[in-house]
Amino acid sequence: MPADPAVSAPAPAGRLPSTVVARLTAKKAARSGALWGYFFGICVASSALTYLSSYKTRAARENLVASFGSNTALAALFGPAHQLQTVAGFTAYKVLGFLSIVGAVWGLLAGTRLLRGEEDAGRWELLLAGQTTRRGAAAQALAGLGAGLATLFAVTALVTVVTGRSSKVHFAVGEAVFFALALVCSAAVFLAVGALASQLAATRRQAAAYGGYALGACYVLRMVADSGVGLDWLRWATPFGWVELLQPLTAPDWLPLLPTATLIVALAGATVHLAGTRDLGASVFPDRSSAPMRPQLLNGALGLAARLMRPTVVAWGAALAVTAFIFGFIAKPAGVALSGSNSINRVLSHLGAHGAGADAYLGIAFLMMSIMLVFVAAGQVTASRAEEAEGRLDHLLVRPLSRWSWLGARVLEATAVLAVGGLGVGVFAWLGAASGHAGLPFSSIVDAGLNMVPPALFVVGVGALVIGVWPRATSIATYGLIVWSILVTLVGGFSNNNHWLLDTSLFHQMAPAPASAPNWTAGGVMTAIGAAAAMVGAAAFRRRDLVGE
Amino acid sequence: MTDVVSAAERGKPQGGRTAIRTQGLSKRYGPVDALINLDLEVSKGEVVGYLGPNGAGKTTTIRLLLGLARPTAGRAEIFGIDCQRQPVEAHRRVAYVPGEASLWPSLTGAETLHLLGRVQGRVDAGYRDELIERFDLDASKKVRAYSKGNRQKVILIAGLMTRADLLLLDEPTAGLDPLMEQAFRHCIHEARERGQTVFLSSHILSEVEALCDRVGILRGGALVEMGTMAELRHLSALTVEATFDGPVPDLTGVEGVSSIETVGHVVRCQVRGSVEPLLQALAASGVHELLSHEPSLEELFLAHYGRRAETQGVTADAG
Repeated sequence: MPADPAVSAPAPAGRLPSTVVARLTAKKAARSGALWGYFFGICVASSALTYLSSYKTRAARENLVASFGSNTALAALFGPAHQLQTVAGFTAYKVLGFLSIVGAVWGLLAGTRLLRGEEDAGRWELLLAGQTTRRGAAAQALAGLGAGLATLFAVTALVTVVTGRSSKVHFAVGEAVFFALALVCSAAVFLAVGALASQLAATRRQAAAYGGYALGACYVLRMVADSGVGLDWLRWATPFGWVELLQPLTAPDWLPLLPTATLIVALAGATVHLAGTRDLGASVFPDRSSAPMRPQLLNGALGLAARLMRPTVVAWGAALAVTAFIFGFIAKPAGVALSGSNSINRVLSHLGAHGAGADAYLGIAFLMMSIMLVFVAAGQVTASRAEEAEGRLDHLLVRPLSRWSWLGARVLEATAVLAVGGLGVGVFAWLGAASGHAGLPFSSIVDAGLNMVPPALFVVGVGALVIGVWPRATSIATYGLIVWSILVTLVGGFSNNNHWLLDTSLFHQMAPAPASAPNWTAGGVMTAIGAAAAMVGAAAFRRRDLVGE
Repeated sequence: MTDVVSAAERGKPQGGRTAIRTQGLSKRYGPVDALINLDLEVSKGEVVGYLGPNGAGKTTTIRLLLGLARPTAGRAEIFGIDCQRQPVEAHRRVAYVPGEASLWPSLTGAETLHLLGRVQGRVDAGYRDELIERFDLDASKKVRAYSKGNRQKVILIAGLMTRADLLLLDEPTAGLDPLMEQAFRHCIHEARERGQTVFLSSHILSEVEALCDRVGILRGGALVEMGTMAELRHLSALTVEATFDGPVPDLTGVEGVSSIETVGHVVRCQVRGSVEPLLQALAASGVHELLSHEPSLEELFLAHYGRRAETQGVTADAG
C-alpha cells in the first residue's frame, strides 16, 4: 500500500543540526567579542594618537624614556617598557599589559558563562537531547568560543591596521596584526581556563572563582618576574609573561606563541575529556549539595541582598585590598620616576592634579582603582536586575514587601559596600605606602579612597533609574557608561579635548586625590544626582510590570 | 444560584464577603489582548478553578491580582483592598504559588522557607514542619540540587505554611508526582475546611473537578464560562453512546447532534437541547444498547477548545 501523502517524513530543521551548540555559542561569543574588539581597537588608536600629540619633541620622548624606561616598580605593575621614544613602543607599553588583563577577564567570564552558565540554566539538557554527546557538545562550545575569540582578534586587528596606516603612526600591516594577536593571547588562554573550570565547578560562580584564582596567580607571577629581582625566567611560567615576551611592535618574537598554543590545546583537551566523564549538571570537584541551616541575614530584602552578594563582594574586596596595598607599597619609587616626567605632570594637570612624586603616582593609581570600584557598582546593579529577570523577585513582591523597599534595600546595600570599599582601599593603600616608607599622611590617603565613592554611587543611581524605566537595558547602560568613561578618560587625559566631552566621563568629575585635594563639592553633586536618579528609578519601578529576560 | 444568561453574571457568588473582585480588568501587551474586560467575583471560603488553554490569560489574571503587572483598564480588589494601590496590604492576606519555581540556588530549602516566611510576616511553624514531612522534602538540600518537582514542593510549602486567607495557585502541581498531587489535594481540602479561599489555575482537569466549587473558563483573554459543575453541565452537551445489531445509521443532520464518532457497531455523539430527534433516529435503526452521561470537565473544556477553533482560530500567546 502506498504511503499516505498526508503523513510526510519530518523535514530537516535547518543546517547541520549536529552543530547547533557550536553555532549558538559562536553567536553569543562573537557578539561579545566584536564589542570588546572595538574597545581594544579604540584603546590602541587613542594611545597611539595621544602619544603623537603629547610627545611631539625628541626631548619630551627622551624624558619619557628616562622616567619609565627602567623603572622596575612600574614595570612590575604594567610590564616592561621598550622603545618609549617611538609611538609603537609607547602604544605597546600603554595597552599590552592593561588589555591582557581585560582580555583575560573577558575570556574567563565568557568561557564560564557559555559553558557552565548554560548548563546551570538547563539549556544544555535540551541541546544534549539532540544529535550530540557531552564530549561533542563541549567540543562544539569550544569551537563557538573560538569563533568569539576570532571576532575579538579580527576587530582589534582591523582597527589597529587602520590606525597604523596613519603616516605618523606607521605600523606595518604585519606588525599591526601581530600586535592584535598578542593583545588577544591572554583572552584565548582564559577562555580555555574558563571552559576547564566549568567542568571542575558545580556552578558558574564557582567556576569563575576557580578561574579567578588562576588569573590572580598568573598576574602575581608576572609581577615577580618583572620586579627586577633576578627572576626574569618566571615570565616563561605565566601566560601574561608569554604576552610580554612576544614584544609586539618593538621586537616581535613568535616563539612564546608555542607555549600559549600548547596550553590552550591542553586545557581544551582536558575540558572535552572531563565533559565526557561526568554527568550533566554535575562537577568533577564534589559539590556540597546539602548545608546546615544558616538563617542569619535571611530576615528580609536587605539581609537577603547581603547574603547573596557576600561571595562577590568579598572577592572584589580582596582584589581591591591587594591592589591598593601594592600601589601604596611602590608609591615612593614610582613617584620618583614620575617627578622627572613633564609629560606625566601635564597629564595629571589635565586631570586637575597639582601634586608631585608619590602623591602624583597615587593619583593615577586611585583613578585605576576607581575603575575597579565602578565595576563593583555595576555588578551590584546588574545582580539586582537579575533577581527580577530570572523570576526570583516575584517570590518577594507577592509578599508584604513593597517594590520601593526592595529596590531601596538593594541601593542601600550597594552604597554601604562601595563606601566600605573606598575606605578600605584608602586604608590598604596607606598600609602599603607606610610599608614602603613613602611618608604619606593617613588622612590624605583615606580621603583619596573615599573620593572614589561618588562615581560608583552615580553608577548605582543611574543603574536604578534604568531598572525603573528600561529594565532590559540595565546591563548595557551601566557597563556602557563605564566603558565610555574609561575611553573618554584615556583619550582626554592625553589631549586637549572638548571639555563637554570630557565632562561626560565619570572619572573626569573626580579629583585625582591624593595628587590634589578631593573635590567634595563635585563628589556631593555626583552623589546627589545618583540619589535623584535612583529615586526616579524607584518611582518608575513601582509603576511598571515586572519583566523577565 | 439561579440560571444565568452570561458568564459575567455567573461569575458572581451568592452573597457573603468577597475575596476577589475584578471589574473590567484588561491587559494588553502591545497588539495582543491578554485579558479582556474581566468581571469576576469570588466569595470568601470558595474554591474556584480557573481553566484555559495556554495563552488564554490565566497567569495574566493572577499577576494583575498580585500587582506584578499593571492593568490596561479596570480594577481588581482582594478582600476589598485595591491590588494596585495597596499591594502590600493585599499581600498580607495572600499566598501565591507559581507553576515555575525560580529560587535562589545557593540557599537550602529550609533557608528558603525561613526567608519567605520572614518576608510574609506569618508562618504556622507546626504546619510548615508537617508539610515538609507530608511532601517528603529534604529541606537541608540546596535549591540548585533539587529536581524541578522538589523545587515546586518548596514553593508550595512556602505558600501553604502561611495559612493565608487567599491562596492564588497558578498550576501549583506542575512537576509533582501522583502521590504528591494527592497530598496537595488533601491540603486544599484542609484549606477549605479552615475557611480559606482558593483560586486555582490548573491544566489538571480532574484536580479542578475534584477540588473546586466553581469553575471559570477563559478563552482568548475573555471569561466565557463561570459556574458550578452542575451549571456548566446543564449548559453543555450530553454524551450518548449507542450500540447497534446491524449497520450504524448516519446521524449527520439530526437536530442537536454533533461530534459523531463511529467505531464498528458503536456510535458516540454529543447532543444539545432535546434528545427526542436523536432517539427517533436511533429507534429506526435497531439500537441494541444505549448509554448516556453528563460531560466531564475535560469534555466541557475540550468542547470549548473545539468551538474556539471553529470561531476564532489560534489565540494570542499572552500568558
